[in-house]
Amino acid sequence: MKIFVCMKQVPAAATASIDPLTKTIVRTANNAVTNPFDLYALQTALDIRKQTGGSLTAITMGIPAAERVLRDAVSRGADGGVLLSDRAFAGADTLATSYALSLGIEKMGGSDLIVCGKMAVDGDTAQIGPELAQHLGIPHVSDVCEILEAAEDHLVVRRVWDEVEQELYLPLPALITVVKGQNLPQLATIPGMLRGRDVEIPLFTAEALNADTERCGLKGSPTQVVRTFTPPVRGQAKTIEGSETQQAEELAKVIKEVLYGAD
Amino acid sequence: MEQIKKGALWVFCEVQSGELLPVGMQLLGRAKTLAAESNRPLYAIVLGKIPEGAVKTLGAAGADEVICSDSPALADKLEQPYADSLIDLAQKFEPDILLVGATPFGRAFAPRVAAALGTGLTADCTELSIEAESGLLLQTRPAFGGNMMATIKTATHRPQMATVRPGVLPLPEPVETPLSEPIAIPYNNEAGLVRLLRETAISKGADISQSKIIVAAGRGIGQKKNLKLVQALADKLGGEVGASRPLVDMGFCPYSSQIGQTGYSVAPDLLICCGISGAVQHLAGIGGAKTVIAINTDPKAPIFSVADYKIVGDCVTVLENLLKLLG
Amino acid sequence: MEQTLIRKLVSADEEYLRDESKKVGNAESISFPETHEQVCEIMTELYKTGTPVTVQGSRTGLAAAAVPFGGHILNLSRMDKVLGMRSEDGRFYITVQPGVILQKLNKSIAARSFSMDAWDEESQETYKAFCRAGSLMFTPDPTESTASIGGMVACNASGARSYHYGATRGHIEALRGVLANGETISLSRGQIFAKGLELSLPTEQGSTINVKLPTYKMPECKNASGYYCHEDMDAIDLLIGSDGTLAILTEIEISLLPVPALTWGITCFFPTQSEAVAYTKLTKNISQGIAAIEYFDDCALDILRKQKAENTAFSGLPFLPKEYGCAVYTELHCDGEEQAYALLETLSGNCAQAGGNPDMTWVATSDSDRDVLHFFRHAVPESVNMQVERSKRNYPEITKVGGDLAVPDDSFETLMNLYDATLEKEGLQHAAWGHIGDNHIHVNILPRDMDEYSRGKALLAGWAAEVSRMGGAVSAEHGVGKLKAPFLEVMYGEDHIREMAALKATFDPKCMLGRGNLFAPQQEVER
Repeated sequence: MKIFVCMKQVPAAATASIDPLTKTIVRTANNAVTNPFDLYALQTALDIRKQTGGSLTAITMGIPAAERVLRDAVSRGADGGVLLSDRAFAGADTLATSYALSLGIEKMGGSDLIVCGKMAVDGDTAQIGPELAQHLGIPHVSDVCEILEAAEDHLVVRRVWDEVEQELYLPLPALITVVKGQNLPQLATIPGMLRGRDVEIPLFTAEALNADTERCGLKGSPTQVVRTFTPPVRGQAKTIEGSETQQAEELAKVIKEVLYGAD
Repeated sequence: MEQIKKGALWVFCEVQSGELLPVGMQLLGRAKTLAAESNRPLYAIVLGKIPEGAVKTLGAAGADEVICSDSPALADKLEQPYADSLIDLAQKFEPDILLVGATPFGRAFAPRVAAALGTGLTADCTELSIEAESGLLLQTRPAFGGNMMATIKTATHRPQMATVRPGVLPLPEPVETPLSEPIAIPYNNEAGLVRLLRETAISKGADISQSKIIVAAGRGIGQKKNLKLVQALADKLGGEVGASRPLVDMGFCPYSSQIGQTGYSVAPDLLICCGISGAVQHLAGIGGAKTVIAINTDPKAPIFSVADYKIVGDCVTVLENLLKLLG
Repeated sequence: MEQTLIRKLVSADEEYLRDESKKVGNAESISFPETHEQVCEIMTELYKTGTPVTVQGSRTGLAAAAVPFGGHILNLSRMDKVLGMRSEDGRFYITVQPGVILQKLNKSIAARSFSMDAWDEESQETYKAFCRAGSLMFTPDPTESTASIGGMVACNASGARSYHYGATRGHIEALRGVLANGETISLSRGQIFAKGLELSLPTEQGSTINVKLPTYKMPECKNASGYYCHEDMDAIDLLIGSDGTLAILTEIEISLLPVPALTWGITCFFPTQSEAVAYTKLTKNISQGIAAIEYFDDCALDILRKQKAENTAFSGLPFLPKEYGCAVYTELHCDGEEQAYALLETLSGNCAQAGGNPDMTWVATSDSDRDVLHFFRHAVPESVNMQVERSKRNYPEITKVGGDLAVPDDSFETLMNLYDATLEKEGLQHAAWGHIGDNHIHVNILPRDMDEYSRGKALLAGWAAEVSRMGGAVSAEHGVGKLKAPFLEVMYGEDHIREMAALKATFDPKCMLGRGNLFAPQQEVER
């Protein structure tokens, strides 16, 4: 089976911070890491490969330094990585990103299975997986929490949505996005780390992918950020005062508002 | 079909277990104002089997028309067929704005629609408005784990699409509506490739870390018997009971309910803290809670520093009064 | 003047009678001051009656130093403000109140986010430079990250990274404290030194404390036992590690160091302890880039396997195959990938040479990886505590029975063998982990009943005596507190204890502060 895992380099959570002077997100080479959700995706793919055999390739679109997440994936057990990098890709929203990824996977000869993390912690959109599946014209299942069965031509997966649990049969080729679930991303080993250091990572530019540059990067992104701002900080707690009965009444009202929306 | 105008504002209204989800009505409520400001008709879209009385409800929430599309292919609510049928409708009737509740299902299928239509999609918005000069939809959403807010627009592609977080917009006051019948649009595609093998409703709360509602008790609860009040309130609200570490150490509560650094981290929509002082070890476990109500006798208790609502008083008395009120 | 800050202890305050040592004390009154001035006010009042005062931070200590011994509880947890910052010669210094929690401070430093409303102009200006500087950190890293800074100074806390960066002491630049009589002393590093063993300390009120320093030689290993002293010492070092017995710290200036470009954690697994010790010896020969070397014995790993299986809160622990006997964690702090990979290859060689298998290793290179390992590390003492807590329900007198002993390099293997032999003989449940790079392992006994409890305590006392003979320390990082006071006498001998008591008396003539810490109470009275 030919498996791809989509990965993204994101700022590390612990250091991801807003520059207090410029109010922009601080992104430096040293605090960039693999999107934590993608590690669950990778582990899911590793577990599937263990059962079905085949190849596992990590793919990312990003700046040249994003190569590091691919080396990280190889350190943890992937067979190889593919980097899509070009100035033309810069400033992409989810539509343009998923378009580029779809070309990258087609360039590599297509896939039987694509595994994505539920979302990236910097964007929180959870859209790349479904959009990529649509571009490739394959079915997908979002928010998978467990692989119940993995075979050459299909998967049986489980997901939990609020109060519903579903078991789904998914014919391949297909795409799944996985939540932080029961699999625990395993750490790299020392020999794995050295493999990750030494592996050749092929790089594809927009031209190499035959990409329509009108559909790439900022140009190919329908959404535009009008402005960004820091949210108002959690203010002081609102005190519920009055007699004991009044307090209880007010409290009941607050609870109702929180749970069922203001009326 | 003539009555379906192009360039309208559409709200996808999700049905779960034969009932409309409230987020659809919340969206219609806000969309009604947006539609009026930008002079567009407002349509509610229901896919699959439309529940009885749904047209009336959606009309009362502000929809000018209810468009529904049903077919055996839509019997199970799955990403691909639902996306395909919405793509089909959108290609036929060219909405200007398409809003979808950011439920797990909404967030799973709407991106396919956006990709197929080649348009933008803004995820999990918490606020919507219309830009005065351009009439464009302004979509505001938290980014970076809520550290930052971003306002986004889709200027040159149509429809302008957004998923909107449930519960952030109020339910509208129902209005008189002449609607009683939906406009039914047939959908003739095959069923998707994914098959639903089994679907079960799950009892929530095997694990407190996933609970949406938590009533948590601390040492201020006093005696073990008072925990009954906490349990009663949790039951009433459909939530779980949590505990601070001292209660677990004393054997009042099982470890499975311990919140904090050495117990579970929780991220409920509502956390009610009864008699919890708020040691840092405890606070470390509740950072993800959306709304925190704290009840404590000590006005300087650290728990109040992270609370949205505070009551200075004995939590046992407050709980007793509240339970009486809730019946 | 009426003292409104001091109030009677009520039943809801019961939690303030104990700390992580699980020992329970007693007290009549309690206060939660928020400022230096309030501490002065409280002490002036209590001094009139000579009421004993026990200082508390976040009560995470393991030696019962914060457990009250009658009298008053001075709880500093609400003195939790960061007061300001300054820079000098490119280094940054932050002044905090003692109740600031390490974890929060670290977060603030990393995110460069402080409440600065009350900061003076210099601090506000320094903050701008601080934002432009590279990432900085406060290096002391006790496993319990909810420790208060005051508590860390009081016991000269250390942690895994102290292997490279040293204990808290080296990162404290200035202190302000309140004496038993309500007067204030302020000390900056490099400002006041002893002349030989004589030390003169002025108070802000104009009086002078004339101190005669004890004559013992401190052990040549990691040490948090008794007063720190040597000839011509810097006065500030006397207060650091004084276990709340000399003064109440109200302002602490810490110094920051640059965050290394790369932090990698490598866990190697070995069949038995002897391979782990061999790996450690080889790795200690590496001169640069090794920030920590930590050990987890087979019992500790077994406890984790059990927790992971039985307790969903611990399900995030990594899978531990049966053949992973014991573990050594090595942390690399490097300035670039080249150095890190080179060290990784060296460690791989060390692992193989010592009898381990490089394929059975964990390498953590990102924050989320390190979180997994941090959780792993923290889960060990946490699980042990849970077990003690369970035994305590049946036998309330049971406390934690854990060693904090360190010895010089040449005695370490002897000590490890002593642990093994005596534990086997007694047949007690136990687990060991800790700072193997510093010859400092925490052996914890898990008593299930009173008999095991007393046998465990006897064992610990025996080890303390042996370690003293080897020239080691009876407390290497937790402080002496109340639980280890008897060992201190074993380590230093009666005469030296008397010198320490005399030193205390010059600061605190009514013997109010931290009663029961360092000394059994009668020693203070006798002096």
